[in-house]
Amino acid sequence: MRLGLALKLLWRDWRSGELTLLLVSLLIAVGTVTTITLFVDRLQQALLAESATFLAADRVISSNQPIDPQILTEARTRGLGQAETLTFLSMVFSSERAQFAAVKAVSDTYPLRGELITSDKPFEFGEIVTSGPPPGEIWLESRLLPSLDVQPGDVLDLGVTSFVVSKALIKEPDKGGGFSNTGPRVLMNLSDVPLTEVVQPGSRLTYRYLFSGEKQALDDFQAWVEPRLDENVRMFGVKEGTEGIGNALDRAERFLLLGGLLGVILAGVAIALSAQRYSLRHYDHVAILKTLGATPNGIDGLFITIFVLLGLIGTLLGSGVGYMAQIGISAALQPFIPVELPAPGMRPIWLGLTTGFVCLLSFALPPLLKLRSTEPIRVIRRDIEVGTGSNRLAQLIGVVGTIGLMWWYSEDIELTLMIFSGGLVALLVLSGLAFILLKSGRVLGMQAGSVWRLALAGMQRRGQENTMQILVFGLAIMLLLILFLVRTSLIENWQAQIPVDAPNHFAMNISPEDVEPIRNLLVENDIRSQPLYPMISGRISKVNGEVAKEREERETQTDDQEERGPRATSNRNLTYAGEIPDDNLITSGEWWAADYVGPALVSLEKDLAARNGLKVGDALEFTIQGRQLDAKVSSIRSVAWDNMQPNFYIIFSPAALEDYPSTFMTSFHLERENKIFLNGLLREFPTMTVIEVDAIIEQIKTIITQVTMAIELVLGLILISGALVLLASIQASMDERFKQHAILRTLGAGRRLVMGSLVIEFCVLGLFAGVLAAIGAEITVYGLEEQIFELDYEPNPMLWLLGPVIGAVLIGLIGTIATLKVVRTPPTIVLRGLN
Amino acid sequence: MIKTIDLGKTVQTSEGQLTILKGIDIEIKKSEAVAIVGASGSGKTTLLSLIAGLDTPSQGQIFLADQELTAMDEEQRAKARGEFVGFVFQAFQLLDSLTAIENVMLPAELKGDPEAESKAKELLVRVGLDHRMHHYPRQLSGGEQQRVALARAFASSAKILFADEPTGNLDTKTGATIIDLLFELNREFGTTLVLVTHDLRLAERCDRSILIDSGVITAEPIQAKASALIES
Repeated sequence: MRLGLALKLLWRDWRSGELTLLLVSLLIAVGTVTTITLFVDRLQQALLAESATFLAADRVISSNQPIDPQILTEARTRGLGQAETLTFLSMVFSSERAQFAAVKAVSDTYPLRGELITSDKPFEFGEIVTSGPPPGEIWLESRLLPSLDVQPGDVLDLGVTSFVVSKALIKEPDKGGGFSNTGPRVLMNLSDVPLTEVVQPGSRLTYRYLFSGEKQALDDFQAWVEPRLDENVRMFGVKEGTEGIGNALDRAERFLLLGGLLGVILAGVAIALSAQRYSLRHYDHVAILKTLGATPNGIDGLFITIFVLLGLIGTLLGSGVGYMAQIGISAALQPFIPVELPAPGMRPIWLGLTTGFVCLLSFALPPLLKLRSTEPIRVIRRDIEVGTGSNRLAQLIGVVGTIGLMWWYSEDIELTLMIFSGGLVALLVLSGLAFILLKSGRVLGMQAGSVWRLALAGMQRRGQENTMQILVFGLAIMLLLILFLVRTSLIENWQAQIPVDAPNHFAMNISPEDVEPIRNLLVENDIRSQPLYPMISGRISKVNGEVAKEREERETQTDDQEERGPRATSNRNLTYAGEIPDDNLITSGEWWAADYVGPALVSLEKDLAARNGLKVGDALEFTIQGRQLDAKVSSIRSVAWDNMQPNFYIIFSPAALEDYPSTFMTSFHLERENKIFLNGLLREFPTMTVIEVDAIIEQIKTIITQVTMAIELVLGLILISGALVLLASIQASMDERFKQHAILRTLGAGRRLVMGSLVIEFCVLGLFAGVLAAIGAEITVYGLEEQIFELDYEPNPMLWLLGPVIGAVLIGLIGTIATLKVVRTPPTIVLRGLN
Repeated sequence: MIKTIDLGKTVQTSEGQLTILKGIDIEIKKSEAVAIVGASGSGKTTLLSLIAGLDTPSQGQIFLADQELTAMDEEQRAKARGEFVGFVFQAFQLLDSLTAIENVMLPAELKGDPEAESKAKELLVRVGLDHRMHHYPRQLSGGEQQRVALARAFASSAKILFADEPTGNLDTKTGATIIDLLFELNREFGTTLVLVTHDLRLAERCDRSILIDSGVITAEPIQAKASALIES
């Protein structure tokens, strides 16, 4: 019986238009969530797959020694893909010349992700291959060919064995950008390594074990492996493996999650508002049903059945819409996305369906449960208020549902609680402010002309509803502003990280006599470069007279484990400079004058100083090339490590190191089409080493472009949700408005007056909401950028103009359009309907 | 069929406690037709809502069909209403999203009666609306809406029918037709009728009247005093 009755009521409500807005809100909520999650899921999979090529694998174990073979057996039994690489430094000899090279020996399955590009001619794009050289052959990085004066087909010696140089190596996936890979690459087959006899006890070796497979299988494997690894052995994935990309991906993921979260909340608010309106319009129905013998439990049962049915229809349709929308978006964006999007999985569909129901239950159930406490006497006296019996329970359901959904989405309880509690505090503060704003409206209204008075008096009369409405509008605008601001600073931050003309080549091992000619050559070819910095290896041996090693051991015992930064006693590249390098900022002390002459001064990087307890004024003794040099710390600096320029922990004043033999380094920017310049450069200065990071920068840029696009798409979807909330909120006040304006019109108010008061009312509501949104957004963005995105917060003065203006225009416009019907409907029809 | 003992209702207002009803003792027998009359604000509608179980008293006891309403919670009262009570209101109180026949089916449907539809059809034929069964309330005239409400009131096979100013929203002629129909049906079904009205001619058609003045029963039945009170 109940199902039959519920179905009938549902159908009738639908036909009379009572449910349209609720169903549309639900549909858009589920649709938005499904679209976002499906698209983000595919994009994330694609980005991860793309990023995996930076490692040539999904996970890597890196070690200085071979690892326990049992680990590899385990990986095999778990069905993971496997490859091995071994890197070491060695000399390679051609008949005429010799060159220090970074040799990488790879197994036949290498690379597991990404691809190798080889060519028959150096510096030219050749063919893509999916495995390394066969035994007996080696591939040389382009610039090794001119510096060793060999051609493909020639023979080279490596250790005690000769190899045929079969190809030039143009690109390898896991090249890495650090200085650890100094030296041009030689790629060989792993099975040839024993023949060369270069790997001896004590050699500096890096073993890398590569794994690939499904995420879950990899996670399980990693969990199994980690307790079995030695302390100094690391297992990592894309995010941990490549710092810059990891950061970008991490932040992007958080942003998309945040966007999804806010989308859900907005849709939830829309649902709550439409459900509230649905409930309001059903109090009379329920009172009648109750006089006819329907019990409170029966009422709950009836309306819950109606909502479950509605939920089923809404979520199923919504996920269908989301699925189609996502296919459309992917198809439309395909030409711009350089990676192939993998097929969407089922998870986002489930996510959408569940979200729909949780949304419906936590946002629509509370107003619905109020129906049960409708007094039957309402059939006689309509002024009877509806009881608040289930309010507590209803609010609890709402809170639990919201937190649950947020947590589920972000899988990050910290982010969830931060946004939730922030939102709650904002809500409290903002409702107080909204109340004050409304009060001030009254003062203004008293002195104004009749249209204004009508509008402001209207706002006053519905004070509580309007406070709510300002809050809802404010919340929606605030969320949009937050997303927009965070997006803007994220993207700006990324773009600033890698400017268009960032150096993409490092030149090292430049001998002093080559400094001038190279500088001239760079200038002649119009290549932007950094100054040439001398590089001298040395270490700190004493601090304020105490042997540095002993001091370090003493400090470590009392040290906080948390503290990071490099140790002072390791060998480091030292340099000297008159001018402070770009992007370095003095945090304490002073930089010396460019023409400073006198006792040696030294400037330390701040992490190095902090880790080792060094400060301005400390007396340091350095051991450089077997000689001692005393220097005083004159300044501490911060260094932008990711600016792709030569950066140093320790910089001396100019004259201090001039007597020490040194090599020089610099970095410069070279366009792809000018890369042939390297050939000439290396031919002329064969002893120098050039590290090409242009490919990596290119890849980082590609990923950032993709992520930016995804972020903009999400922002667009959230905008739609926001507009929906505004509409739902305006719809919720429609009955009241119809009545008020019908009465006004009956009393002789002209259309223009009614219209004018509506426009003013919405614009003022929007203005207030905008002010609140600006306050809320500024505070939240501060928290988010500082805590979650680790960006440097800057105040946004534009916000204070943008918020109120957007509020007034947007809400004025949407409000007026949505209520045009109020003005157009003849008052008799409205009044007859009111009965 | 209906009995109240020392029934009272007070409400809290901003100016203090307001007594709406005080010391009401009435007894209404099975199949009796009783009118509750009084001026506007005298408390007659409150009395009706109390004995119909739509509202709860501040003091006293109410017995409805030998069951004590005042000892029940809302869940039990709702069940009792469904079982014994039918209503006709001044404002008709039809669900505007349901058709005439669906409105009439409601009480039986709430009870889970499988013959809800056939019973509803019979009743609508009985009130002369067989040609308007599938119309919505807004497509019906006031008199027609009240006839649907009458059909609905009898659809639950109620033992007691409460009517609150059933002609208040109708013109005299239509009102008279509705009243005739109400009394006819009441006789046919053997229902106990409690009618709230300020129409003395209507009250005269009942077996007796209860006069309420300022929340107390003044006397019963003193028609002259009633008319004086109402007209003043």
